[in-house]
Amino acid sequence: MFYLRNKLVAVVVLLMAIFVFAACTSEEESSSGASSSSSGSTLTTVLERGQLVCGVNDNLTGFGVVNSSGQFEGFDIDYCKAVAAAILGDSSKVEYVPLTASARFEALAANEIDMLIRNTTWTASRDRDLGNDFTVTTFYDGQGMMVKASSGYDSIESMSGATVCVLQGTTTELNLDDRFASNGIPYTPLTFETNDPLQAAYEEGRCDGWTTDKSGLASKRAGFSNPSDHVVLAETLSKEPLGPLTRDNDSEFYDVVQWVVFGMMQAEESGITSSNVASMASNPTDPGMARLLGVGFDGGEPSDFSFGIPVDFMQAVISQVGNYGEVYDRHLVPLGLTREGSLNAQWTDGGLIYAPPFR
Amino acid sequence: MYLHMFLSLFQQLKSEESIGKKLEVLFYDRSFRKLMVQLVFSILMIVFFFYLIARAFSLELGFGHLGSRAGFGISHAFLIEYTSNDSRWQAYFVGIINTIRVSFIGILLATVLGVLMGLARLSKNFLISRISAGYVEFIRNTPLLIQIIFWQLVLLQLPKISDALTFGGFSVWSNRGILLPFINSIENGSLWFLILLIGLIVTLFARSYLSKYREENVNFFSPNLISLVFFLTIALISYFLLGINLYVDVPSLKVNEYGTYIQSGGFLLSPEFSAILFALVLYTGTFITEIVRGSIQSLPKGQTEAAQALGLSSYQRITLIILPQALRSIIPPLTNQYLNLTKNSSLSVAIAYPDVFMVSRTIMNNAGHALPMLFLILITFLGLSLFISIFMNFLNRRVTRIGA
Repeated sequence: MFYLRNKLVAVVVLLMAIFVFAACTSEEESSSGASSSSSGSTLTTVLERGQLVCGVNDNLTGFGVVNSSGQFEGFDIDYCKAVAAAILGDSSKVEYVPLTASARFEALAANEIDMLIRNTTWTASRDRDLGNDFTVTTFYDGQGMMVKASSGYDSIESMSGATVCVLQGTTTELNLDDRFASNGIPYTPLTFETNDPLQAAYEEGRCDGWTTDKSGLASKRAGFSNPSDHVVLAETLSKEPLGPLTRDNDSEFYDVVQWVVFGMMQAEESGITSSNVASMASNPTDPGMARLLGVGFDGGEPSDFSFGIPVDFMQAVISQVGNYGEVYDRHLVPLGLTREGSLNAQWTDGGLIYAPPFR
Repeated sequence: MYLHMFLSLFQQLKSEESIGKKLEVLFYDRSFRKLMVQLVFSILMIVFFFYLIARAFSLELGFGHLGSRAGFGISHAFLIEYTSNDSRWQAYFVGIINTIRVSFIGILLATVLGVLMGLARLSKNFLISRISAGYVEFIRNTPLLIQIIFWQLVLLQLPKISDALTFGGFSVWSNRGILLPFINSIENGSLWFLILLIGLIVTLFARSYLSKYREENVNFFSPNLISLVFFLTIALISYFLLGINLYVDVPSLKVNEYGTYIQSGGFLLSPEFSAILFALVLYTGTFITEIVRGSIQSLPKGQTEAAQALGLSSYQRITLIILPQALRSIIPPLTNQYLNLTKNSSLSVAIAYPDVFMVSRTIMNNAGHALPMLFLILITFLGLSLFISIFMNFLNRRVTRIGA
């Protein structure tokens, strides 16, 4: 009896010892990881792992969705592929982690994912408080309101007393309140955690309006059995710049993500597409193009920007994924989100898509 | 005693010559070995907790962010007022009230349902006992979250608000909720309600003490009469002091010029509240059914037979003989189910019922500080659970004392 109890105690002590030992060693690992983070730990991790882990949406047609053959596809997904192509040379080396709006920042901060691209709006408090860095805006969105075409609504002002369905943990929830409450318009918000019950509630008439980013509304509207029964009001409630995020103090990886996106914008401006990138690389027409594609101009040496990835990373990106315009046309034009005259046109066409020089 | 043991050990050590022998003596001494194991265990525990505390303090702690303006709306605010201009603390309290509201009503209804179904399960009527068994097996063996979403979808199948059922203007039924007429006061209505509630509890306590007093003083007034007069006095005095002006609040439905249906008046049972309430009551009810059945079956059969022999009706048999005895073994497991119901109410985040967990998640998303917020939620649920436990322990002591 006493011996049995002693043995039990011994086993428990042993387990505790192992646990403390494991905790100490894991702390050493994490502290060494933190010390090397200034030299780009995520980039090293991705290179060592041979795979990029990307936090995405799996339920937003056009941006991030699982298609009928079980593959992730969409505008946001293509940026995961582009970063994987740039770092690893293969756009298929991506593991997609579907995340809810409310769980996404914790997943990034907790090292569960390398980068987050899940139609996430860039705001000051998110940049400062949540331990992440926003890179480049890939899509300039704005919050809109979808209502039934049969209702009499023509503006937010006309929606006095309405019930509005909104997703939890989003800036939309706050913008909605700003727009209604601050103008003294009474309303009832119905806040859902996930999209499916929200959509059911909207379709069954539990709420009069559904508010989220206009891109998201366009995507959902396209998925309805009869899209013309629903209208997106012309009014825009907010600025919603969407783009990829990395962790704070991870500047090497941050730079890679940022310049891959810039490279895709620059490629469109320079007229480089997935179909002509090979011929352009073998015979660049100007030094700027040669610098972008990481090849020498006129027999010279290629310029190396020292991102810690292959010099010709943009060739892999453009040949496997395409330039900004190709990605946009592939995923967003089918939703009815036209580019012409919008903020997402190239700066040369009056939009905001503008890449700093590759120099 | 320990001192004595160690003194003898010390003597033994002294008598040995070589260090090897001394170590051998130490190793074979059982009490010394035990002491060493306990010492190592304690040190490891202390190191482990210091490690956890040190890790926690490297994060940003504190609740300063809860003082800022909330900035988001909440669909269900009960008893206390809330607008988006209030602080995040106020939003958090609205969440707590919503959790308490669904848990409290849920506990009451689940108890009634569980007791009835538990009795039904033991009924000699084949149909009734099978219905109860079917209810238990079907509901208990399916996930609660799916049941909650199921009830939400079912309630959304009520008529759309444009085709709402009005029952001649007394009530409005649509998938925006069920509006029932109720008695309200123009001023101080909820305050009066609160006073009546407290008055009722005080009266019930007073009545139980009066009953005990009357056992010794038979000529004393009837405790029921005194209690009734006492309660009515409280009600009437507060009625006139607060200037209560009662009227029947009949719900109404209007359409404005843009086609928005505006519901007003009445008592609103929203689909979200109803869905989470139905799901929690039905789910917890199955466990209470089994507890009631088990406790009654554990009573000796002679109790039932004796009651029958005395000529008691079946109603009297259950309320006077069976249930009071069964209660002793019902209450402890029942407490567990009440705690489970309260904790499960945090699943309401799935269907847009703003309980404390849902409101906190919104705050965490807007302002970060996840660790202190989660800590606050844990403390809140701990508080609710301890309150239920204390109340149930009090009840348990009373029940076990009767007839003991």
